[in-house]
Amino acid sequence: MDATTAMYVSQAIHGIAYGMILFLIASGLNLIFGMMGVLNLAHASFFMLSGYFCYQVLTITGNFWLSLLFAPLGTALFGIIVERVFLRRMHAFGHLGELMLTVGLSLVILAGVKFFWGTESLPIPVPETLQGLVRIFGLEYPIYRLFVIGLSLFVLVLMILALYKTRLGMIVRAAVSDRDMVNALGINIPLVFMVVFGIGCWLAGIAGVAIAPILTVFPGLADQVGMDAFIVVVTGGIGSLGGAFIVSLIFGLLSSFGIQFVSQLAPVLMVGFMALVLIIRPHGLFGVEE
Amino acid sequence: MKEKMTKIVLWLALAILLLAYPKLFGLYYVNLFVTFMVFAVFSLSFNMLLGFTGLLSFGHAIFFGMGGYGTALALRHIEGISLFPAMGCGVAAAVLLAAILCPVVIRVTGTAFAMVHLAFGQLMYVLALKLRNITGGEDGIGNFPLPDFSFLGIISLPLKNNPVNFYYFALLVLGLCTWLMWFFTQTPFGQIQVGIRDNAKRIDYLGFKVPESKAVIYITSAFFAGMAGSVYGLFHNLVSADGSLNVLVSFAAITATLIGGIGSFFGPIWGTAIFQILEEITIRFTEQVELVTGVIMILVIMYAPRGFAGFLSALNLKWQTYRAGRGK
Repeated sequence: MDATTAMYVSQAIHGIAYGMILFLIASGLNLIFGMMGVLNLAHASFFMLSGYFCYQVLTITGNFWLSLLFAPLGTALFGIIVERVFLRRMHAFGHLGELMLTVGLSLVILAGVKFFWGTESLPIPVPETLQGLVRIFGLEYPIYRLFVIGLSLFVLVLMILALYKTRLGMIVRAAVSDRDMVNALGINIPLVFMVVFGIGCWLAGIAGVAIAPILTVFPGLADQVGMDAFIVVVTGGIGSLGGAFIVSLIFGLLSSFGIQFVSQLAPVLMVGFMALVLIIRPHGLFGVEE
Repeated sequence: MKEKMTKIVLWLALAILLLAYPKLFGLYYVNLFVTFMVFAVFSLSFNMLLGFTGLLSFGHAIFFGMGGYGTALALRHIEGISLFPAMGCGVAAAVLLAAILCPVVIRVTGTAFAMVHLAFGQLMYVLALKLRNITGGEDGIGNFPLPDFSFLGIISLPLKNNPVNFYYFALLVLGLCTWLMWFFTQTPFGQIQVGIRDNAKRIDYLGFKVPESKAVIYITSAFFAGMAGSVYGLFHNLVSADGSLNVLVSFAAITATLIGGIGSFFGPIWGTAIFQILEEITIRFTEQVELVTGVIMILVIMYAPRGFAGFLSALNLKWQTYRAGRGK
């Protein structure tokens, strides 16, 4: 295989890996939005927070796998506390209140992160077992990127199983279509909301740990990746999981090939794509009218 | 009759206070007041969308920034351009951008409207940083020539390095903007705004064109935001991405409107004043502007969702009930 093809394939792998991470964040956002009608603007901050938790666990234990386990759990716990203490009281004030509250929260998290960990970017080493390259069909792939793709697919399958094969998943799907009715049937909807919010934050947390060795951890992480994730959600249609999946992959590829060919204009490509989609379909590719 | 007299006296007192302000307070406070006026007008233009039309934008800074960059670029590249045409360039840039965005943004509402603006805001910010040969990248455009403020050859005030003259100039321009915006809400068209906010379907049914009306309001709002941005750029003699296009600039307007009270016309002015006073106090103890903004946002939305204007009207209601009770 010649060098050009190899370049295309390796860029595609990078793009897919980034797209999968975007999808992890976007799916958490979508889950929360579909269920509770809250667009959690602090979601990207939870994602960043998990990166910092990962760094913290790594400095204490030195084990990447432990941080992959504990950092998302810590993020989920934090999310649950936020839902219980702040968001639950805001439902009465409508969407505006929730949006503003989550914006305020993201600013507080940003300030907190700068206060505790400083403003410089913290490097996270790729774990030893995942270092290096692997040869498949005469091409070399970085193992860690493949691991990220695998991990995301694993989480995706786990999500689908949980959503369609368990009792909680059934309740969640029912609550998405009519939350008052489910509440009237005697199911504790506020509790379910809290759990779903926690799961959404857990997904963001996994993405945060997965991306940490690639991009390092820094206070601008939430803005940089979070903005992409929000664009994915809006373009794919708010609340649509399938839309988020497809658009994540498109955006991952757009960003990796964009950096390769038109590095100056890479951020413009995504927003341009979003604008194009919104002109044709104002509620996103797979969105339904509110 | 008596109430009318009190009103006139109060307005006169306010006018005298504003005119005498530079004499009464030091230069530091003159500059602070100019910043206050700029952000008050910016927040008012933002509230035109949020409070009166029910459209929450997370990227209103794009118009503020366009106003600033347009003015700065005109002053830098066009030889001998005078003040008002240069400001016109900035405002025209903001209006043009709004007109370009219109077809996309008037079709979405609620959360999608907010998110689209967040994305466009980020895009403009990144573009301002990347297009270095036009915008100067991180450094921005600074030290551009600042022409004198002259009006029909009657008065001519040098603005460069003269904060007091600049204060009067800003007072005139921004005061006019405030009055125009207030006038706009009083017109029949301004009433349609409120109708769109409360029940867009009904307004459509009554025969008004909802998307077109939204477009006009959107462009008007961009006009005033551009005006504020233009004055801000002139004031600092510097336009930078971080100072005028950052997402925190958009959030400043949101926070001010929130503190002041959504939907009340004068709310954003109160809000900007309160926000600035709080910032002025906290900046002496801590550098964490984000923390302060965030905490204020959370506290206000949780405990005073109707803001300062809501607090005032509740107080007024109590006073009226008290008076009515005594009159019995």
